[in-house]
Amino acid sequence: MKPAKSVIELWLWGGPSQLETFDPKPDAPAAYNNGLKAIPTNAPGLSVHEWWPELAKCGNLFSVIRSMTHPHFGHETATYLMQTGRNPGGGDVYPAIGAVTAMMKTRDKSYTGDLPPFVILTQAKGRFSEVGFLGDRYAPLVTGGNPNAPTFVVDGIVPPGGLSPEAMKRRFDLFNLVDRFGTPARFGEYLAAGAHARHVIEGSAAKTFDLNLEDKETRARYGRTWIGQSLLAARRLVEYGVPYITVNMGGWDSHKRHFETMRQRTAETDRALAALLSDLAAKGLLDSTVVWVSGEFGRTTKIDRDPPWNGGRNHYPRCFSALVAGGGFKGGCVVGESDETATKVVKRPVAPVDFLGSIYERCGIDPDGEMPNESGKKLTILPPETPGAGRLREIYGS
Amino acid sequence: MDWTRRGFLGGTAALAGVNLFAGGADAPGAGNPWEKADGRASNAVFVRRAYLDLAGRLPTKVEAQGYVFSRNPDKRLALVDELLADEGFVDYWTMRFCDVLRVKSEFPINLWPNAVYVYHRRIREFVRADEPWDRFARALLTATGSDFRDAEANFLRATAQRTPEGYAEAAARTFLGWEWKDLPEGRRKELADVFRCVRIKNTREWKEEIVRVEGDDLRPAFADRLLGEWRDDFARAFVRRVDFWMLGLAEPDPEHVRIFVRNGYRLRPLVRAIAGSAAYERGPVTGGFPYHRLDAEVLDDAICDLTDSGRDFQSIAPEPFTFLPKRRRSICVEDGSISSAFLLLFGRPARDTGLLSERHNEVTGKQRLYLFNSGRIFNLLGRIVDGKAYRAQTMAEIVQDLYWRFYSRAPTAQERTDVLAHFNALPKGPEKWRFPRDLAWCLLNSREFLYQH
Repeated sequence: MKPAKSVIELWLWGGPSQLETFDPKPDAPAAYNNGLKAIPTNAPGLSVHEWWPELAKCGNLFSVIRSMTHPHFGHETATYLMQTGRNPGGGDVYPAIGAVTAMMKTRDKSYTGDLPPFVILTQAKGRFSEVGFLGDRYAPLVTGGNPNAPTFVVDGIVPPGGLSPEAMKRRFDLFNLVDRFGTPARFGEYLAAGAHARHVIEGSAAKTFDLNLEDKETRARYGRTWIGQSLLAARRLVEYGVPYITVNMGGWDSHKRHFETMRQRTAETDRALAALLSDLAAKGLLDSTVVWVSGEFGRTTKIDRDPPWNGGRNHYPRCFSALVAGGGFKGGCVVGESDETATKVVKRPVAPVDFLGSIYERCGIDPDGEMPNESGKKLTILPPETPGAGRLREIYGS
Repeated sequence: MDWTRRGFLGGTAALAGVNLFAGGADAPGAGNPWEKADGRASNAVFVRRAYLDLAGRLPTKVEAQGYVFSRNPDKRLALVDELLADEGFVDYWTMRFCDVLRVKSEFPINLWPNAVYVYHRRIREFVRADEPWDRFARALLTATGSDFRDAEANFLRATAQRTPEGYAEAAARTFLGWEWKDLPEGRRKELADVFRCVRIKNTREWKEEIVRVEGDDLRPAFADRLLGEWRDDFARAFVRRVDFWMLGLAEPDPEHVRIFVRNGYRLRPLVRAIAGSAAYERGPVTGGFPYHRLDAEVLDDAICDLTDSGRDFQSIAPEPFTFLPKRRRSICVEDGSISSAFLLLFGRPARDTGLLSERHNEVTGKQRLYLFNSGRIFNLLGRIVDGKAYRAQTMAEIVQDLYWRFYSRAPTAQERTDVLAHFNALPKGPEKWRFPRDLAWCLLNSREFLYQH
């Protein structure tokens, strides 16, 4: 099994409900499932919530984990744990899996492209630094802009102002005339960074973000929504070779108006995610690309009908779901099991450290190996896996 | 020295008796516009350097010209004194001490917003009043009480690990320059024992915490030792930071340590001595004065000042939410948890540990891409040069004006000739039209602008 080259992380910020995603409970009381159903997928034994009809058509391409569990009820601490595999505190701020993967793939030279090795569409998570103690080198390129706009403007990559290549060259000539301070020997870092930047501006990297190069039919298949076009951009970044792409999708923190919110979010996400998985498979990229989908936790299972919630679900980390696909993970499988209302894990608990450890392993990164860092401390990529349960070896392909 | 006194270069007096067009006061000698014949910094370089170091901002064109053309033989020290009395000094140096003292509301330091503002105000007062560092250190170390009311109690709260070892590590680093990993086991235990009495309790007020003491309080005795057996390390730890900030030194200059102690452990006399020293007047090219890329906050403010524009602060975290006006200067942002994409890109410190190395002043490809190529910078540059009045000037005047704004100096004869020749050779059409903006783009992206030198 060759290690995966790229990872696409679809982060459902706020904590999506396990019931309306990958752990539906059609037989539970309506106080839990609101009378909604599950639908089978094309993979025997794998069902999803009825709001994911497109995904149901490609159940053979992904697996779900229904027994994710951890103890943190707050967004910040839960996100930190789900992103770093570590509990907060202890003085060191660890980098997220994206920055670590970017570093390891850059260090072993398996990625040498001009775009940064870690790209976030379109906004950072915000509440914690993805790069932790690793420093700016592995900090993500946060694109900004809107992939669903007529032009997806990525600040710094796509040149503004409509200059022709000749005019751009003349402007750089003027720049070289002006920029004459000091002696070049003392400005190695500045000059190298400038050469790199100019290479990106004049090279092919910027085209990666030009979604107008995709045909109309493809764009429509992903859906002309922010999430649809973000996942399409993510696929183009995979084709370019970028090792880690995060799509941060907000709007899942549904304390109130839960079902209205979920109906709209799931419709857009279902279409986009199904298009991404089948597109990657059709292009032969799924085996070398891990796709994972999760939030920082799930949600309480009994619907809260009292004011002020009026039909909401609150934070709940003890039992929630995640999805993995590609990169050598088997499709069509279910890992773990929850009780009849998706409130408790009854079989095969999966801790964040084990979940992340599996993704690292699929990428050829040893989770128990050393994390290179400048502090001089001896650190490992992850803490040891959970005894007895551990990484998701049962769904590793051969 | 009375630090509230305005220097005699202040205000309009700066321009009295100055002929702005004489130009004789800053005749460059070493064959470059940055140094005098003897290798000392030119007036233009010095005024920029002093403003950036002391007030955390670029001089305006008028301020730069006032200094460069002034015939006052003591103008260097006069400028230093004026800046030391400036509000900008208080703002900028407060920011630096807030880095050291870890002022942020969330993760892994959890001060929370209310306490951040209380703590920040107290640090600002330390800088404004030029309070002796030993007195402030004692107050921080021995405080008890509510984080909302007893500002100094936040020093101990501003630790990622709220354990005796965590407090001791922060105290040893902040006041003595000792790194925990280098300390022998016995010393660690001794330091940790000092803080075993500290308890932090919640109250019924949301996010209020009380620092209190149970049992023997060994902290006052610890504070005594800072001026007793540990006084050398105590003074060196402070001066080391100032020498690093102003001169890029890894180890403090022993003479500066003596000056600091002799002046009662106060910041301003130390800064004044350094800014007035021969080492600080060295030229940036043959004189070997060290460079560093402008701090994230300073660069942000410089760009926003030049283009008369605002910032996009992100205050997602934490509750209660804080929203800053766009015109708030970046060096004045109290809370390390409030940031912007620009500040993150340019390596503003996370304020997790208080180490100087948390600030990243390197230049990266991503930064240069942003400055070369981002829509925001492109739009901002238009704000300088697109006014009707501005365009009524000749191109030679525009070139002159832009050099003063970005570099605090006039272009040399050679530079003027080269730039105008480039303009004249451009094909007719949009490139001619946008030439002022493109020249501003060149200046903004250049070493002379991006670096403190």
